Amino acid sequence: MQCNYCERRCEIPEGKTGVCRMYTFSGGNIIERFPHRWSACSTSVIESMPFYHVYPGSRCLTIGTASCNFRCSYCSNAHIAKEDPELQQEKMFNIPPVELVAMAKRMNCRSIIFNVNEPAVSIPSLIETSREAEKAGIMMGCLTNGYMTEESADILASIFSFFNVSLKGLSDNFNKTFIGIGSSEPVLRNIKRLATDRYVEITTPVIQGENDNELNSMAEFIAGINPSIPWHVFRLLPEDEMKDKEYPDISFINNALTEARKKLPYIYFHNFVGSDWVNTICPSCGSVVIERFSLGCGGDKLKTDHTTEGCCKSCGREIHLL
Amino acid sequence: MSTAIIDARGWQSSFDLKTGEKVQPESDAQRIVKEVLQKHPYPGDMDKASNRWVSDTALELIENYTPRFVFLSYAAQYFSLRYNPMTDENRSKLISEALNEAKRFIELSGYTPIIVGTGDMTPLIGNIDITRLEGLALCTNWSARYAGLYEPSDKDMTLLNSHPFIEKIIPREEIVRLFNGTPEQAQRVPEFLMVARKGYAFKALSPTMKVPVMTPSDCITVPVFIPGSDINDITGIRDELEKLTAKKNIALIILEGAGVNDFPLPYRSCINGKEWFTYETGDAQYLTISSGEHRFFDYPKGYKYYDETDVNNDFPFSGYFKSIPVNTFASSFPGRSIAVGNKSMFMHMVTGADICIECFSRNMFNQGTMAVIHRDDK
Repeated sequence: MQCNYCERRCEIPEGKTGVCRMYTFSGGNIIERFPHRWSACSTSVIESMPFYHVYPGSRCLTIGTASCNFRCSYCSNAHIAKEDPELQQEKMFNIPPVELVAMAKRMNCRSIIFNVNEPAVSIPSLIETSREAEKAGIMMGCLTNGYMTEESADILASIFSFFNVSLKGLSDNFNKTFIGIGSSEPVLRNIKRLATDRYVEITTPVIQGENDNELNSMAEFIAGINPSIPWHVFRLLPEDEMKDKEYPDISFINNALTEARKKLPYIYFHNFVGSDWVNTICPSCGSVVIERFSLGCGGDKLKTDHTTEGCCKSCGREIHLL
Repeated sequence: MSTAIIDARGWQSSFDLKTGEKVQPESDAQRIVKEVLQKHPYPGDMDKASNRWVSDTALELIENYTPRFVFLSYAAQYFSLRYNPMTDENRSKLISEALNEAKRFIELSGYTPIIVGTGDMTPLIGNIDITRLEGLALCTNWSARYAGLYEPSDKDMTLLNSHPFIEKIIPREEIVRLFNGTPEQAQRVPEFLMVARKGYAFKALSPTMKVPVMTPSDCITVPVFIPGSDINDITGIRDELEKLTAKKNIALIILEGAGVNDFPLPYRSCINGKEWFTYETGDAQYLTISSGEHRFFDYPKGYKYYDETDVNNDFPFSGYFKSIPVNTFASSFPGRSIAVGNKSMFMHMVTGADICIECFSRNMFNQGTMAVIHRDDK
């Protein structure tokens, strides 16, 4: 039977699994193999996800499961995303959604964010969690690679109020070589779809010499949807299969963003400690409206939010915030 | 003002350590440190060259700053021991290799060493899942044997009191009494501190960490190589430092993961805690060594770290530290001092040395290095 959760649309025989190994075909249905099993369950601040324009400074409960439908050669969570999920079960947290949400409440979390691997590999558990979260008045957000089917994009849009979609590269060659997929078209399609009625930020890890030449095209694509979409340009942290590669040159990438900055007012260049490009600047008057600390690699933090009711204190311009 | 210099490989910036504000212009000390950082990129927590980086960086800094006191931490073997399955023989070999690296430093620098093992580890037999209590349970600071407990229900207490892998559950009042805590310090101590039996570790809320294969042992004593001394407690190291630095250049060297059973030098067996409490490697143990007094309360085991780290913006580059710990030996030492270590953003807080260099790794992701200049007026 065909699994329609992600764009791979794997044909799964009875009792077998597809690429992600998180679903099987049983009793006439595609079912989740490891419901309510979480690889992570922790608290963090929302900037560290990163979400820069969603409830700045708020605390979230972060969760993740196992596996992925991508095979990125630079995966920073390879021990979760690439390993056989069956072999990971012993170390997973086994927490039913109702308890997960209770935990979020107990720790004063404003949201629950799925941020370790790809949510499309665990949709049934996330639907259950969102039902409990809604009852408790807690919003949900996620990081996603965007490689889900159109049907799944609709489901995810019903689960999550805000998204950070990873736009890793545009060319087929890049996607085949570094990501293990044939084309970025499904990702682009889903970004457009999610941005129609959900809050979206976008992240692009830059591999110098491989996808930095696409930065302007990506900026044009984002601006074509909504120029107010925040774009996180990441300096790639060489991990996994790329562990021995050089760290990308910060000045080089920053210069490569010159044209893109003319198209998009909210570009952030970070994922390294001490970045100068993590503050939000008012697009009208140039005042710093939100200051952040850049601690790299999932550790960013709000320093000061200078906005007044979501607007620039100097000129009154509304800042694109959720 | 303490200055932090961060080297993210090919990108250096200087900040006020406390506020995180960028600082300009550069002092002579900053220029020296920047060059050292540029010359010595960090190879990674579990890289074979990681301990060598500690020695080489320290030697370079010594050449430029000529300190009288050096505080080093070698931790690569700790990370490898914790996460990689290996035989007893290989474990001992790893500790010996770490010591050999320290010896290389000693030979090249000529400093008189005091070497402290932080305690050995024991194979992880199993986890104690404390994620589904009605109250809240927290582990902190890489701790495995200790967990804090808040607002437990009667059902929780019944379950935990009869749990076969939990050795004891200590109420807050007992902890405060043991370490003579003030009412203010008591507020940050969990309502109960749970202690796991040997070989077991608490499994509490956590991000995606690699799963350890070893957990800290209950080290009642740890080995200290300190020729000519008769100390029998790690709180005695501070006084020895006072005496010895009056006569010669001293290097206090911490060997992470080395216990009395595999310490490859003659040693004094020193008490590593108080009554039922034993230190695991971490800030409390380092601070006890460097201050000569028990330091449970700086960052109590199982405290609600997120209530402090999420809202307090001081010391943004210092992990969970929210102030500079007081009374460390190097902070009051009149001579020049340096510290170098490969155990995360740590040395600048626990040593108090004039100039500290450490790796900037979070969850073992190598992001570069950080130097902190606490003072440059000696």
